[in-house]
Amino acid sequence: MLTFMKFGVIIAFLFSLVSLSYLVLKTFSHEKKKLNAEPRGDWKKGIIYAFGKGMMPWEKESARNHLPTYIGGIFYHIGIFISLLYLLIVILAIQLPAAVILPVRVLSLAGAIAGLALLAKRIFSPVMRALSCPDDFAANIIVDIFLILSFLHTLLPAPSPVPVPVVTLFLFASAVIMFLYMPLGKIRHCFFFFYVRILFGIFYGRRGVFQNNFCHQGGKVFLIINFLVFLRALVP
Amino acid sequence: MNENETYVSKDPFDEKIEQLSPADREKALKVFAEKINREFAVYFNSCVHCGLCADSCHYYLTHQDIQSLPAYKLGLVIGIFKKYFSFMGKNMPGWVGAKSFDNRMVKEWVDSLYGRCSLCGRCSLNCSIGINIAALIRAARGALAAIGLVPPGLQSTIETAVEKGNNMGIKKDDWLETASWLEEELQTEIADPAARIPMDQKDARYFYTINPREAMFFPLSISAVAKLFHAAGESWTLAADSYDVTNYGLYSGDDETAGMLSDRLVQGMAKLGCKTLVLAECGHGFKSNRWEAPEWLSKKYGFEVKSILEVVAGFIREGRIKLDPAKNQEPVTLHDPCNLVRMGGIIEEQRFILRHAVSQFIEMIPNREKNFCCGGGGGQLAMTQFSQRRLKAGGVKAEQIRKTGAKIVATPCHNCIDQLMELNKHYQLDVKIKTVCELAADALVL
Repeated sequence: MLTFMKFGVIIAFLFSLVSLSYLVLKTFSHEKKKLNAEPRGDWKKGIIYAFGKGMMPWEKESARNHLPTYIGGIFYHIGIFISLLYLLIVILAIQLPAAVILPVRVLSLAGAIAGLALLAKRIFSPVMRALSCPDDFAANIIVDIFLILSFLHTLLPAPSPVPVPVVTLFLFASAVIMFLYMPLGKIRHCFFFFYVRILFGIFYGRRGVFQNNFCHQGGKVFLIINFLVFLRALVP
Repeated sequence: MNENETYVSKDPFDEKIEQLSPADREKALKVFAEKINREFAVYFNSCVHCGLCADSCHYYLTHQDIQSLPAYKLGLVIGIFKKYFSFMGKNMPGWVGAKSFDNRMVKEWVDSLYGRCSLCGRCSLNCSIGINIAALIRAARGALAAIGLVPPGLQSTIETAVEKGNNMGIKKDDWLETASWLEEELQTEIADPAARIPMDQKDARYFYTINPREAMFFPLSISAVAKLFHAAGESWTLAADSYDVTNYGLYSGDDETAGMLSDRLVQGMAKLGCKTLVLAECGHGFKSNRWEAPEWLSKKYGFEVKSILEVVAGFIREGRIKLDPAKNQEPVTLHDPCNLVRMGGIIEEQRFILRHAVSQFIEMIPNREKNFCCGGGGGQLAMTQFSQRRLKAGGVKAEQIRKTGAKIVATPCHNCIDQLMELNKHYQLDVKIKTVCELAADALVL
């Protein structure tokens, strides 16, 4: 049964990978926009900004004004990546030392809690409900279940007891569902996120919007003020 | 008509939407499909409906309705992409939020994409993923433009520009007469008969463009720039024919017309053999001609394109003009036009000029690329059917201005000036609105 489930996870993962690759290829089959206007700034600086300071709450108003959602989102995504790595380790039957298991346990739990909180927000906030379609709820629930099962799996004693605990089978089943759903619904954004950030960086970087961000007169003062505003927002 | 029947007059534009045929909608979808480049296709697959863009939009902040929320507006566009161009949208539309492009949807597109968005791009900056929402909304506007659904006020402004050569329909003789009159005024003001407002001067270094509203309603903006050029001893010219910096094709989403309008300036440059195209204080004119036109026209320009702010800041840096800030004693704040600043990268030049030209300069919070839109962009000033919404949306800017305590609001954009003047009246701000060059010219030491 265990081997069958492991095989299922691998097949689902490959399905996901192939489907997403096809989706990316289809997306990239569209013509690339040619940029003829002479740049005013440095697109590389724009990309650095997009992946660095441009995601920080003291720089980004939408993050600063919605700190719980922002922090929840960070934990959610860290939890997902950690749980995916953990899934790989479980499939390869590698025994992790307790010192490594503990952070995995904490982060998968934190991710699950964050995911459930974001789900609750989507359910109970009228604005979020109005914005959402069934896919939004489904994607969240599928990933939340995977995170919860990853967390529960970390509680199992090592080496894995015999017969195979039901948690392990459920973890694999949830992974199969998640991988199969990934190219069909919004989880696919994981494949596009980084490219969008690059496009964001190129757009503003070429136009010289962020290159002045640090060096304009009073810019550092503005940054410090923003950081203080951010700290103030942390205080209830 | 039977006298007992009540006659309800219908808006002809709404009627036009109701009478759209499947062939019309298909045409719009075809144009929409043609606009989907790689960048857009990536964006269409990336929105996670997090809703964090809400507070970044002045429409949402002032109206608090879901239709004004950027992610909702974007959802209207993505919904169509999903329905007609994605596997899940075709097979399980309800599950993924795919939407049919029927007449009701067309009406919602017009109302939301034209009537609840000034294409300011503030949501794009605050999007948790980084989606260029403004660009996608503009592309969708372009699909509506293809079936003649640009709101009448905006469309007539474009038609005037196409037919008459400028968006105010100014006749050539009137323009030349205005320029000549301004030249005489300038000579009198600075007591220098050598002061010129050159027209069609070949091989001048700078080819200066204006917003036709300046010629019609704000001639002092032209005199101010002429004064600065004269003080710097610079070689420059205006053109008798190609001088309109505005381009409302940017707002209608019609790339072809937009390209044609911008190409007139390119032709003007070629005709006069000038070195640099200098764009007047006009936010969307800058964005159109500096950033978008080379893409619309699919060619690299063989000349420099600059904002007048870059030129004037250069004069100050090089010591070619001297300004005395004591000549502008009242406190001044600066409104950053979205198309010039957030979308255009001209951020510090106006500050540099104002620090030399006024005694008290107060920044709005937030400012620079994070500044709020005044509400006058996106063609909103031309679309009278949405003017109540526009004024309400401008409430965010009015509050920003009030908090500075400034008596003068400087802004390098004539669309912003028009909106700020209306906000000034509507919200009783009791401020004066000026361009940056007007303040610089007032501070000029001759």
